[in-house]
Amino acid sequence: MGLAILLGLFAVCVIIGVPVAFALGIAAVTVFIYEGLPLMISFQRIISGISVFSLLAIPFFIFAGELMLHGGIADRLVRLASAAVGRMRGGLGTVNVFSSMLFGGISGSAVADVSALGSILIPVMKEKGYGADYAVNVTVTSSIAGIMIPPSHNMILFAVAAGGGISVSKLFIAGIVPGFIMCLCLAVAAYLVAVKMNYPSEEFPGWGPLGKAAISAVPGLFTAVIIVGGTLSGIFTVTESGAFGVIYALLITTLFYRSLSWEAFKIAVIRSVRTTSMVMVLVGCATAFAFLLALYRVPDNLTRFLLTISENPIIILLLLNVMLLILGMIMDMAALILICTPIFLPVVTSFGMDPIQFGMIMMMNLGLGLCTPPVGACLFVGCVIGEVRIEKVVRTIWPFYAAILVALALTTFVPAISMTLPSLID
Amino acid sequence: MDSQESAASSFDRFLDRVASVCLTLSGTALVLLIAIFGWLVFGRYVLNSTPTWAEQLGLLLIAGLSFVGAAVGVHERRHLSVEFLRDALPIKARVWVHVAADLLLLAFAVLMAWQGYKLGMSNIRREIPLLGISESWRIFPLAVSGVLIVLFTGTRIVRNIRVGLGLRAPDRRLLLESEY
Repeated sequence: MGLAILLGLFAVCVIIGVPVAFALGIAAVTVFIYEGLPLMISFQRIISGISVFSLLAIPFFIFAGELMLHGGIADRLVRLASAAVGRMRGGLGTVNVFSSMLFGGISGSAVADVSALGSILIPVMKEKGYGADYAVNVTVTSSIAGIMIPPSHNMILFAVAAGGGISVSKLFIAGIVPGFIMCLCLAVAAYLVAVKMNYPSEEFPGWGPLGKAAISAVPGLFTAVIIVGGTLSGIFTVTESGAFGVIYALLITTLFYRSLSWEAFKIAVIRSVRTTSMVMVLVGCATAFAFLLALYRVPDNLTRFLLTISENPIIILLLLNVMLLILGMIMDMAALILICTPIFLPVVTSFGMDPIQFGMIMMMNLGLGLCTPPVGACLFVGCVIGEVRIEKVVRTIWPFYAAILVALALTTFVPAISMTLPSLID
Repeated sequence: MDSQESAASSFDRFLDRVASVCLTLSGTALVLLIAIFGWLVFGRYVLNSTPTWAEQLGLLLIAGLSFVGAAVGVHERRHLSVEFLRDALPIKARVWVHVAADLLLLAFAVLMAWQGYKLGMSNIRREIPLLGISESWRIFPLAVSGVLIVLFTGTRIVRNIRVGLGLRAPDRRLLLESEY
């Protein structure tokens, strides 16, 4: 009965539009009251949920991304990608995908990626005769690279939700290959659609301008190298490297690019506070919620239930992927990572899957959810920038969904894609 | 505009100002957090002496900025929520669903304030290790956040009930793009 109240009340709250973080809290607190548990403990759980040292890296990553966003890195990355891959047919589509890959390394957020690169690339693409729907499709789907390519604060959320036993540096490095494969699949889709629609290609600017573009972009890209490198080498903890990344980003945007004004700095701070507080309260309330899920042995029961459907790991993994896809369509990523990890992770590890590989599957899968209606933050932002209706975009987005599903299937069924790099740092 | 309306709108302006002060405070906490960790890295790798208080102070600041920032998020309606179902309803029903959602939020916020205060008072003599200040500093932001959310949602509930009863026009945030 307690479990029914927990899940039922949560569902009702979400359906009527209570913010997801508070919906988790309301459901958890109600069940604490129902079970006669001391109410104070539920709030103690919420506070202890956010008092975790590695979570301190989250505001740093978000802030570093915001600084770069307002400090002029995005257009430099676009220039680099344009000089490097623009000459292919439908070149700006491919440029878009690779810009996302580069930018993803810095921002770590898919929505930031769409708003930063989209506002530069979508108008240019439209001007050059690309369909607005195509421009939005490419921008939105390739933004998932922001989640896969390290550093990514969603990976930290996953590590925390998994109970802290997973190394964040391994998660970071594991994201590189699946992220790259996904971008490759998307580039192929972008190319094929461009050929079919007869979109133009860009002129190769020559090696000189390419070199110049690279030199101008490298200091910005180095932010990611500092954060990931610092963590991987063991010199810094994740939190320290995040803070160091922020300080570096501040120096680069003020001294080197000279494009970060005081106003832009204030905007970056306020936007970071908004995102950070949203994520942290979500983490706190999800901690209380997950405590009850564990109390009711939900993960064990789900595993047992899935085993009654099939004992074949392939079928179970397909089922889990479909469940995540459906949930991802209606709910946001951070909330789902926090809710689903403690439930699904024991299931997949009981089939012998490494938690790191599951993390990659989850990131890509829920990333796709950000690009699907009815609830898809990236899709919404992309459509606003492209000034095009969601219905129109969704009608032609299928090749891009297919590309991500191919990458997701590869990540799900070929463990080496996720596990080769992390195994090197053992 | 009658006097009741103008009193309501000046109260709205007051709440906007409260929210903006809270955001500034939280932003300052974030900048402080960066400074502290910059100092931590500098101390550890350059001065060869790690400031032991830094991590605990960082955790304290993050609790403060998160809870206060989250209350502002309620005021600005920026939290992640699923709105497409509610938005599919006709405007009249939508207003009442908004009221219902805000009432649940209000109840939770009352508990946050009450339990946060109780928890804070019961920990007032416990010290945070290495900082030498009371553990309550970590807990009271929860209570403050509760009070702020009560204020923000309470005002919204009253306003939307008046909209639902036909006493005032719905504000822009209640309407969908096609309706204004």
